[in-house]
Amino acid sequence: MGKKTARNIFIWSTVICTIVFIWLTIDTHSTIPKRTNTDKLTDEVVLGKRVWHKYNCNDCHTILGIGGYYAPDMTKVYSSRGESWLKAFLKNPQTPDPERRKMPNQGLSEDEINKLVAFLKWVDGIDTNEWPPKPVKVAKAPGVPVEEKALASKGKNLYYQNRCDLCHKIGGVGGTAGPDISKVGSKRDKEWLTTQIKNPKANNPNTGMPAFPNLSEDDLQAIVSFLMEQK
Amino acid sequence: MTYESQKIALKYFVISAIFFGLQVILGILLILKYIWPDPLIGILPFNTARAIHTNLLVVWMIFGFMGGTYYVVPEESQTEIYSKKLANLQFWLLLLGGLVAVIGFLLGWTAGRPLLELPVELKWAIVLVALIFIFNVFLTMIKTKKWTAIQGLLLGGIVMLAVMWLFGIPFFKNLTIDYYYWWWVIHLWVEGAWELIAASLMAFILLKITGVDRHIIEKWLYIEVALVLFTGIIGTGHHYYWIGTPGYWLWWGGIFSALEPVPILFMVFDTLNHVRHGKIEVTNRLVLYWAVGCAIYHFIGAGVWGIAHTLPIVNRWTHGTQVTASHGHMAFFGAYAMLIITIIYYALPKLKGVEKLSQRSGLWAFWIMTISMTVMGLAFGAAGIIQSYMQRGLGMDFLTVQGFMKPWFKVVFFGGLGFFIGVLIYIFDILKLAATQTLKVEQTGLKS
Repeated sequence: MGKKTARNIFIWSTVICTIVFIWLTIDTHSTIPKRTNTDKLTDEVVLGKRVWHKYNCNDCHTILGIGGYYAPDMTKVYSSRGESWLKAFLKNPQTPDPERRKMPNQGLSEDEINKLVAFLKWVDGIDTNEWPPKPVKVAKAPGVPVEEKALASKGKNLYYQNRCDLCHKIGGVGGTAGPDISKVGSKRDKEWLTTQIKNPKANNPNTGMPAFPNLSEDDLQAIVSFLMEQK
Repeated sequence: MTYESQKIALKYFVISAIFFGLQVILGILLILKYIWPDPLIGILPFNTARAIHTNLLVVWMIFGFMGGTYYVVPEESQTEIYSKKLANLQFWLLLLGGLVAVIGFLLGWTAGRPLLELPVELKWAIVLVALIFIFNVFLTMIKTKKWTAIQGLLLGGIVMLAVMWLFGIPFFKNLTIDYYYWWWVIHLWVEGAWELIAASLMAFILLKITGVDRHIIEKWLYIEVALVLFTGIIGTGHHYYWIGTPGYWLWWGGIFSALEPVPILFMVFDTLNHVRHGKIEVTNRLVLYWAVGCAIYHFIGAGVWGIAHTLPIVNRWTHGTQVTASHGHMAFFGAYAMLIITIIYYALPKLKGVEKLSQRSGLWAFWIMTISMTVMGLAFGAAGIIQSYMQRGLGMDFLTVQGFMKPWFKVVFFGGLGFFIGVLIYIFDILKLAATQTLKVEQTGLKS
């Protein structure tokens, strides 16, 4: 093979690949309205994206799996945390554990928070070919029957995901706004705990604890199962 | 060195080396933030530090490529550079742009898109610099109309680099579209434009140090870049699995990116082959070390580490984890950092008229850097595997899993510290080489 042939192979393979790539790009564009719900891509969402850029959120957090790996992925944060949690957290991102990685308070205005949450809500609806994947199995802890310990481990994750630790202490770790619940499993039963999370005012009308009505029944049972282990 | 204007390359090389050092300092700060609570959170939070770390990388590599191009083009075209003034102007503009960008990041002036954080005004300024550069290089080439494959592909790479950059400038309302074109810059740079530039510069060096026939070198160069673009262009699809783009990208991206190691493996054989069939004795063995090391590390970091997590079935679990950080560090080091160091160690002694280069520091730098980077890459990889398994596989909370990864972040820190020592040795070697000889040139100038 001579240099001329090599050059022709280079030119033609590049041209063909470029054409195929552009064709796929055009086709991709035609699927975007449906896959990303562009009808719901309102001005508020776009302004929320600008807030996202303004504070360079993406260099700590990934979104659609792209960005900094320092902080959690934001793709499905709207459905996993819920709107009220997000708004409260964005106003004052704090953690009770000084050893834990912190998010600096960005000093967002009320308006910026609303827009940003609108953006995250829209992102949540993007068809990502089922990414992030559903966990293959739930983490297990030793010493308890398999199903029960799987449920409790899941509950432990949910406990932290829902930031119960912001107010409650377990084993010396956590906030002080609510009571220490290190021994809650020997003091309360499942039923009481379930009510306490779903609708705390039903147990005590004067309680300062917020309700968590957005938790699914499964998640609720997992958290209760975890709390019942605290003896 | 045959042409006076090749000397322009010198200051590009010096800045390239210094910015490399700064990039690594930022890298060390970043990994410390993973290990201990961050005392700098109010002054230099993670996102700002990351923006500076990655942008310095791009800038020092661009300085390296531009310096390399200014060195190679006169020799290939057999004429002086079209305009030394433009080359100087362009150097100062780029340096100024880089410094303004870093200060801007510290003050919160950002476009807020990862790797493309430069504010839109600065992005257009970069376009201006690129236009001056392309103009200058192109006019040099057409002065003598001696078209070689090396300079043709070099020019092609530079033009592609500039064109792709344009896709990173607009604001996109839709995040999916945003990331679709974001990859046209990021992926089509590192697996397209940069590969063209790198392959051409490497072909030039192999041609010079081995004395293998130009026909043979250029033939294989064509085949190599043909394979790079054949796999790389549609291979962009491996970034389109999970960002809201259609499911057929899992096939297009998966198949084409699975082929991406082929051109790199080819490059390894090509380099070794040329070196083995070299017709002249290699006097500067340091260049040979870096060139062969570059080919091999390019294959490991970009090829092997790439294919390990490019298939959708794996990528579903590893996407957005430290596995990507592992791949990113090793690939950039193997494919581009080592290449630029090769060019500088080849060109700088020639620019300075050094006949016999002292190779001790350069060899120390070589071994310390490659070993440290391997330690870092493996540690990032271990952290990433833990993260993929616990966070994605078991569904555990992000921050809880980070705790399990911490021992590996400590290993990354020590690897990074070692790497920094290697880089310091390299920088001092380059500065010494750049400085001492300037004196001699002046002395001879006085004598005559």
